[in-house]
Amino acid sequence: MKRSLTWFLLLSFCVVLGCTSAYKSLKSIPVDATCVNKFASTRIGTSWYDASIDVTGRHLSGLVLIKNMPDSSQRVVFSSETGVTIFDFGFNKTGEFKVYSILKRLDRKPVINTLRKDFELIIGKPFRSNILTSWRTDEEIYFGVEQKGETAYFIMDKDCISLRRLELGTTRKRKVSVRIAGTGYPLPDTLDIKHYTFPLHIQLSHFQKE
Amino acid sequence: MPEFVYSLQRNVCTLVCLVVLSYTNAFAQYSGYSPVQDIASFKKQFAQESAKVLSITSEFTQEKTLTALTEKITSTGKFWFKRSNKIRLEYTKPFVYLVVINGDKLLVRDHQKENRINVKSSKLFAQINQIMIDCVQGTILDSKDFTTRVFENGSTLLLEMTPISKSLREFFQTILLVVDKKDCSAKSITMNEPMGDITLITFNHKKLNEEIPDMVFTP
Repeated sequence: MKRSLTWFLLLSFCVVLGCTSAYKSLKSIPVDATCVNKFASTRIGTSWYDASIDVTGRHLSGLVLIKNMPDSSQRVVFSSETGVTIFDFGFNKTGEFKVYSILKRLDRKPVINTLRKDFELIIGKPFRSNILTSWRTDEEIYFGVEQKGETAYFIMDKDCISLRRLELGTTRKRKVSVRIAGTGYPLPDTLDIKHYTFPLHIQLSHFQKE
Repeated sequence: MPEFVYSLQRNVCTLVCLVVLSYTNAFAQYSGYSPVQDIASFKKQFAQESAKVLSITSEFTQEKTLTALTEKITSTGKFWFKRSNKIRLEYTKPFVYLVVINGDKLLVRDHQKENRINVKSSKLFAQINQIMIDCVQGTILDSKDFTTRVFENGSTLLLEMTPISKSLREFFQTILLVVDKKDCSAKSITMNEPMGDITLITFNHKKLNEEIPDMVFTP
């Protein structure tokens, strides 16, 4: 009796808190090409951001430059406030990724892959040439692209006026969300990147360089 | 003439050009400066003169150049130094950032949080801490972290510092410290990174040997 009660409680806990799919309430709808174009045709602009990173209880800060290059590639450079370059990533227009430089202590595959995926979402790389699927909730329209067992989403408000956030998830679990504040793309005031599978939180606040 | 002879001629020409260029680079890379010959006597004089600088209050301009991206960012702020081992570096525009060094204690505050670090806990922190202090208080020539070449012109000295340890070489290819001859205080610091990016910090409106309350350096 006692054992079955424990199992019942565990199961209830799991159903209520952890085992429900983050995307269960989405209803499939046809893709609205006009709505897609509103985001897909807008690249994030060249800009500097004040970066604040909290990872596994540690805090660090720095400056992030996202730059659109003349050859249509994009570069993301993270440096310390005092000027030392910490990493420099390149994303070319065909989707190839290149590490131009990274400090040795960060030069680990999981670190690079995590940062790569985060910035690919921000620069909209998954949504450029892939086939999209669309869903909606009462408040939002989701556009998703499958990539290696995960889905990258950009999420518009229900009237398709503004971009609300970007997400990366599996069919059940939300893994990363990027909340966009202020005037939105191409020059968002802030980008708030939150990871749900491990404690990593990156906040980018746009600033005007002198 | 056979093709391989043309090829050989081209290669020899390239080699000669490279040798000439590298020779020119090694001996005349700082325009208007000539090498200081008697380093031992210079060191002694430099140590004596820079010991007279007890405090510095200054504004600074930092210009970071991302060479491959043809992108520059300029930041400004205030700088305080008090002998010995006390530095406050306060960035005010276009972002807010504060570094306070007081002996072994380091405070770093960005727009969200602050970190208090005992530099003894990390060899790298300790090295960077010491470099900043050595550059400002004129003891960099005694540093075991660098090999240093010294150049001079009429009004300034140029100290070219090349890091010895692997850990520092990851950050800097060279650091160039330009020192005012008249008072032995730092005029500018240029940090050349291995991938070609450059950070130049220039000190403006310097006031030497004015009283600075210890509170300014409270970490």
